[in-house]
Amino acid sequence: MNHYLELLSILILLSSFILAAAKRIISYIWIFRLQSFLLVIMAGYLGAVNFRKEGDIDILIICMVILVVKVIYIPRLLENTFAKVAYKVEKDFFLNIPISVLICCGLVMLSYFSIFPIDDLREGVMKTYLVNSISVILIGLFFMISRKKAIGQIIGFLVIENGLFIAALLSAHSMPILVDLGIFVDVLAGVMIMGVLVFRINENFESININKLRNLRG
Amino acid sequence: MEFAVIILPLLGALLCLLTRNRRLLHVVNGFVAGLFLLASLYMTFRIIDTGTLTSPVLASLFYLDPLSVITLDTIAIVNFMVSLYSVGYLEEELKHHIITGGMIRIFYVLTSTFVFTMVLVVTTQNLGVMWVAIEATTLASVFLVGFYNNKHAVEAAWKYVMICSVGIAFALLGIILLYFSSLQVLPGPESNLNWNFLLENARQMQGSMLKLAFIFVLVGFGTKVGLVPLHTWLPDAHSQAPSPISALLSGVLLNSAMYGIIRVLAIVNKNLGGSLYTGRLLMGIGLLSIGAAALFIYSQKDYKRLLAYSSIEHMGIIAFGLGLFTPAAVFGAVFHMVNHAFTKSMLFLASGNVYLKYQSREIAGIKGVLKILPTSGTAFLLGLFAIAGLPPFSIFASELSIMAAAFEARHPFAGGFFIILIALVFATMAPALLQIFFGDAPQGSIRPGELNFTGTAVIVILLVMISVSGLYMPVEIKTLFESAGAIIRGGE
Repeated sequence: MNHYLELLSILILLSSFILAAAKRIISYIWIFRLQSFLLVIMAGYLGAVNFRKEGDIDILIICMVILVVKVIYIPRLLENTFAKVAYKVEKDFFLNIPISVLICCGLVMLSYFSIFPIDDLREGVMKTYLVNSISVILIGLFFMISRKKAIGQIIGFLVIENGLFIAALLSAHSMPILVDLGIFVDVLAGVMIMGVLVFRINENFESININKLRNLRG
Repeated sequence: MEFAVIILPLLGALLCLLTRNRRLLHVVNGFVAGLFLLASLYMTFRIIDTGTLTSPVLASLFYLDPLSVITLDTIAIVNFMVSLYSVGYLEEELKHHIITGGMIRIFYVLTSTFVFTMVLVVTTQNLGVMWVAIEATTLASVFLVGFYNNKHAVEAAWKYVMICSVGIAFALLGIILLYFSSLQVLPGPESNLNWNFLLENARQMQGSMLKLAFIFVLVGFGTKVGLVPLHTWLPDAHSQAPSPISALLSGVLLNSAMYGIIRVLAIVNKNLGGSLYTGRLLMGIGLLSIGAAALFIYSQKDYKRLLAYSSIEHMGIIAFGLGLFTPAAVFGAVFHMVNHAFTKSMLFLASGNVYLKYQSREIAGIKGVLKILPTSGTAFLLGLFAIAGLPPFSIFASELSIMAAAFEARHPFAGGFFIILIALVFATMAPALLQIFFGDAPQGSIRPGELNFTGTAVIVILLVMISVSGLYMPVEIKTLFESAGAIIRGGE
């Protein structure tokens, strides 16, 4: 069973590399959808195994929630927001693509070297899981700071959330279900609020370029 | 009855949502805030009697102990004061056409929701639910920070939601690691992130995982607390929000996030059998915050931003006290949380009165506050002395207790450095802000006289509270603080 999970966690890591190499906002949203779908498969697989072993359906419920929230609803919401504020296609990154990908490789190495020395993790495969999920979190963070558009930052935030979710799913077979559902409500409400703020930024600054938000300093 | 403290703020939000009449709205909000205050005082008396409190229903979630009830009372008192103050403040802004009548309703609904999320933070013992509630405090207050919907307010709101959400995501990673570590040694359904369970079994968990978890929690909740270098959202949000909201943000939101750090700190220190590891981190980051705040205060041109940086300083002081982790220091830290909440919310409310009068946040454009606003101006001035740590105010008492603890715990260098930095803050704050009080008021439209009468009364009440509690503390309350300290120190 571990082989499938390992493969999926590596695929999710790969999808965040593709995200770091993407150029247009529409393609970010698609890659995020793909990543969330991989997450659904992972949760579905783990949930099915858990259900057969212990007869508990918590992870399967979570799997359905991710499918609805992260694969269907949030990407649609972001696409609609983008359609309303987009005037023209602009370049949206500070660093060019090869350098961003190299930085992402560096981040994976960083998390490798910080996780592997931990002695208390006896199972070897757990280390791989943690390295992969923490790398996804770090790449999401890097993505946030390397993009200028507000929607790019929201995607970065969502990728961080995905990374956290993989960490919880693989290390502890997901959090207690109440906590997990609470996290989903928070993420959903957070993305809706950020979407409204994108409109307000667009109204006030006539662009969704975050570089223009620098009136408050010191 | 136990759940009244949780339900009342939510009820307040619902009632405000349904009320159309503006005057009725003020009454409903104030009334519910008063009931909430009574409910939490009732809880305090029960805690003084019984020590801890759970409920037969939802036993794994609902939990109150002296530490949480102290934080709860702070929330209830500051919230009550702020709701009384808001009446005059919002009416005045309405008169000047800065806001519309509909916005008042939104203001009250969001404020009650915001208070509800903070109450949830302190009344749960499940660390995961606590994380969810702390994230929800951000979400509930975003539109309050961006309330005026102009360029600056939207920028502050965007920074606030992005930086805090991402920061807090790291705290979630810390909690996941904590959970993972507890599952490794204590498999089974009962270890579902219950704080009491984790504390009881803290010694069996894996130290290296907990160390990692603590770093992530400190970074994550530390972002929300406003510890340097993660503070960047704080001055923007505090200065752009309406003054009553600044008072809530600075007075109680920062405390709720600090409460999250404290709960995890107790588990980690108990596991490691000492405070060396966490102490170094907390004392370092605390001193850094105090020092950086001193520099920023020195160069500040906006008085609300100046007060915001002073909040960073005081959060640094609390972190320093928690880092020392002796009984006196922990007592001082918890006491300081309460003192800072009252003093700083009073200052923000007073600064709101100044803002209403002068319509400016620039220090340079304001003169003669003592003549124009005799009562709230005097209170503002005395409040500045209080926040700088002069006797007889209560902040002096808690700072002194932390300082003495530093030397007692044989940290002469850290303690000395702490005193120098506190003095530096005082030295930079005095020249920066004292100039607004004296001199003659600018000629023209500004007439002497208070605008917001209930608001001014609230400020005076808070001033009396911080003066009295600096000199005298009833023995029951002292015991409450001491038992809160004992809980943080792992029941010793």
